Amino acid sequence: MTTDTPAEMFFERLTRWPKTIILLGLLLIVATGSFIPTLQKDTRSDAFMPPDHPALVYRDKVQEIFGLKDPMVIAVVNDGEHGIFNPQSLTLVAWLSLELEEIANIDPNRITSLATENDVIGTEDGMLVEPFFEETPTTQQEADAIRIAVMDFPLFVGSIAARDGSATLIVAELEDQAAAQTTYQALLELVERAPKGAGDTIHVAGEGAVSGYMGAYIDADAKRLNPFAALVITFVLFIAFRTLRGALLPNLVVLGTVASALGLMAAFGVPFFVITNALPVVLIGIAVADSIHIMSQYYEEVAQHPKANSQQLAVQAMVKMWRPITLTTLTTMAGFLGLSIASIMPPMEYFGIFAMVGVAVAWLYSMTVVPAFLTLLKPGQSRAFQSNTASSNHKGSDKFGQMMSYLGRFVIKRPGVVLTIGAVVIISGIVGATKLELNEARITIFQKDEAIVKADHAINSNLDGAHYLDIVIETPNIEDLFKPQHLQQIEALQDYVTTLPHVNGSTSIVDYLKQMNRALNSDDKAAYQLPDNAEMVAQQFLLYSASGDPSDFEKEVDYDYRLANVRVRLDSGLYSVEKAVVEAVEYYLETNFNAIDIKTSGIRASLSGRVNIDYHWIKSLGDSHFYSVAISLLLVMAMAALSMRSAVAGFITVIPVAVSVLLIYAVMGFTNIWLAIGTSMFAAIAIGLGVDFSVHTIERLQVLIKKGGRSIDEAITELYPSTGRALLFNFAALTLGFGVLTTSEVVPLMRFGALVAVAVTSSFIASMTILPALIKVLKPRFIGLEKTE
Amino acid sequence: MKKIDITATLTLILIMPMTFAATLPSGDEIANNINARDEGVSVSRMVVMEMTDKRGKQRIRKTRGFRKYFGDEKRTVIYYLTPKNVKDTAFMTYDYADASIDDDQWLYLPAMRKVRRISASDRGDYFLGTDFTYEEIKNETRVSIEDYTRKTIGEAIIDGHRTFIIESTPVDKATAKELGYSKVKQWIDAKIWMARKTEFTSLRNKRLKTTYTREIKQVQGIWTAHLLTVENHKTGHSTKFSFSEVDYQTPISDDLFTARAMRRGL
Repeated sequence: MTTDTPAEMFFERLTRWPKTIILLGLLLIVATGSFIPTLQKDTRSDAFMPPDHPALVYRDKVQEIFGLKDPMVIAVVNDGEHGIFNPQSLTLVAWLSLELEEIANIDPNRITSLATENDVIGTEDGMLVEPFFEETPTTQQEADAIRIAVMDFPLFVGSIAARDGSATLIVAELEDQAAAQTTYQALLELVERAPKGAGDTIHVAGEGAVSGYMGAYIDADAKRLNPFAALVITFVLFIAFRTLRGALLPNLVVLGTVASALGLMAAFGVPFFVITNALPVVLIGIAVADSIHIMSQYYEEVAQHPKANSQQLAVQAMVKMWRPITLTTLTTMAGFLGLSIASIMPPMEYFGIFAMVGVAVAWLYSMTVVPAFLTLLKPGQSRAFQSNTASSNHKGSDKFGQMMSYLGRFVIKRPGVVLTIGAVVIISGIVGATKLELNEARITIFQKDEAIVKADHAINSNLDGAHYLDIVIETPNIEDLFKPQHLQQIEALQDYVTTLPHVNGSTSIVDYLKQMNRALNSDDKAAYQLPDNAEMVAQQFLLYSASGDPSDFEKEVDYDYRLANVRVRLDSGLYSVEKAVVEAVEYYLETNFNAIDIKTSGIRASLSGRVNIDYHWIKSLGDSHFYSVAISLLLVMAMAALSMRSAVAGFITVIPVAVSVLLIYAVMGFTNIWLAIGTSMFAAIAIGLGVDFSVHTIERLQVLIKKGGRSIDEAITELYPSTGRALLFNFAALTLGFGVLTTSEVVPLMRFGALVAVAVTSSFIASMTILPALIKVLKPRFIGLEKTE
Repeated sequence: MKKIDITATLTLILIMPMTFAATLPSGDEIANNINARDEGVSVSRMVVMEMTDKRGKQRIRKTRGFRKYFGDEKRTVIYYLTPKNVKDTAFMTYDYADASIDDDQWLYLPAMRKVRRISASDRGDYFLGTDFTYEEIKNETRVSIEDYTRKTIGEAIIDGHRTFIIESTPVDKATAKELGYSKVKQWIDAKIWMARKTEFTSLRNKRLKTTYTREIKQVQGIWTAHLLTVENHKTGHSTKFSFSEVDYQTPISDDLFTARAMRRGL
């Protein structure tokens, strides 16, 4: 070390102005951090789809025609003898329906309940369209009469009123989905002061409510998780170095990293999505990794050269560490780049991009601010590293160093055993991966005892369900929907749809026409069928308008009777259920509607609604998951290969992470954890993070063998107490950081945290076992061994 | 008229609204003038009903309507001419002077070849898919004296004509609920006693509807509006009635207002 290498020169120059560098670092934190308050939250599930996705674009078009926004659904449940058909419960329904109109963001024209809907009744010589109750009932007899009327109107049975009369819904559409959180709070307050009778329970659910609930839920979660993660990591740092600077300096890097990543998100107007909650924790884990290695090296230098000055120590630590740190930064960024490229979902794309930004900033701070600080501070020893000087033979005789040394000896003695275990993990991982189930249900985001989960259960078990699939029927000409053949085709479609599992009912203009036809034929049950000529249909609508509202059929048919909507009700929001239904209906439409020439049939149909959106969304999640794993692995491999100028090196580098990802697949496959929104991200992140361990291991072995001229066994022995020990704390910081996520209330985040923690653990173990064993057995050329050895 | 000091007038307006009101006809006077206007014993006319939803899609229906007073009782029949699939559909109403007796309504559906009696509509119900309520259709350009208390609140120029502004409030809650309004503000032409503009306020005190009465011309000596428009601010739906071939003189047979006549058609 007599001649100055370029690296030495660089860090010497850099550390000449430590104060300036620290000041610049702090300024960057303040500058980027100042944007954070402007971050916007976006908890809509639509946010997970690219805004130009055809399913989303079509849904918006349909929404424009029929209204049909994601609703808030209020359920009134009464387990009493008469169910909700008692004067008090019905009064409550009327009260809620009326009060809802006053709530901001609720569309007053789009409130549907027993108190707002009209009954269509046949009389001896005519037809009656009138509300189920104009005045709220005061006696049980009146309530009984209402029950009879409702149960005699097939359209409302199951959709608005439970078949057994135990529950009824008030469905209210939102004007602006983005303001769901405030509206949801307003609804809860309304429910709180609602005049409940004996036995009445009120639930608030629906897609609107889920978004609304999620906002508050995530806020509370983030406020708890992030400080907790920082605390846990500081604790790990303190154990590792047992000095104040060792515990605090990496935290400065954390601050810079999180501030720039989130600040830049805010500055670019990227919203804070549900999964963005995991970003700070991921960044905290990444940010400390670089400084753990620098600090470890620094304390080793202090122990070895007690007389050196601050600047020399800092420079020497950096000279040894800049290469592995830069390498791991590049490979980690490659991992996140893979996530960003492969995902079509904006939240994940942005997650990848801003995690990359964070990793880069963490590198920048570790390369500049950390040595600057170390130069400024007096050389300080760490008790954890003191013992290193005592016996040069047995480095790292602190407990952690010793622990790692034992592991090293085992690997040297039994490489075959290590590799066999590795092979078993790989095989079981592949088996587990085949058992992986792609599935998701929005409601599983919440803990089971949350009010929203209970509400969802109450609605989907008592009624037909509040998960909607919309089938839009399109005819070429105005008033084509009066034609009986078209109506019959819709009727057949509805008949078919209700045979599908979890589909309990559907509503379309056909149901109203049948009801009117029956009413016009003196309420003869046999007349519950479609009229047989277009004139009759047109005249029935006219007849209805004699007492109905002009906007009454807005949800079912467009104003010039060319487009109709069939709303299908499912009692489950599970992807596997939605998939089965959507695919079956798509096939039906393909064969019965769209395959036939439009000129002869004149009718087409397409899918829309929340269920269809979910289907496309989750389906793309499955596709993009394996794609992102492949891309991340390839990018990481390419990056490692390039920087070590060896394809074999690249390949060997990704083995530990590949093993860890396969192990997670095995865990998921065998314990039935779904591949879902939260869990699907684990792999790319685990690859980006886990690869650090193998990069550090390989880099150090390379240095020890190539430059230090050690034999393979000597190199491995030396690797464990130094690099191995640093990696142990790197791993501890990451695992405990992600471990914090397992305390999250948001279930997918909890699973995500657990999976990444397990993945990081296994890639650490693999890097410390399989990797050295493999190198010992294969003796690859890039590591610098003489073939003859 | 004596020249009045402006400051004094303003003071009077501020302090004693009654004094000001005295300079304009009272609400009841105006209402009586409106209802005293000649409407003819009978009328026959073409009415084009144009309904537009909030997205701008339209339904246009051409009808021929007949109305005749039988003493205090008013009978109306409307025949649909277009569109084709509702052609010959007919709608008939008997409005009885005694408000406690429900009106009778029938609809003839040619597709069923049957006259169907429809439930007596509530006064606040919408009329045949339009934004007019039955009450407004029944009153045409008149006002119902006993449902509201009214006061004159000023004057203004509407469509170039001097109008008195009267504000009517339903006499009680039940009436308000029945009619569907908590307040009705009307701009009444000061010369011919016809409302040129009306604003309706919903029961929840929100702006609900605005109607305009336009193309007011004399037909056979009777002031007749040829264009009615109403816009529903809550739903974004709107309705336009255009009248033509208005005839108050050609006698209309009593037999026209029967189920048999409806079946027979025009």
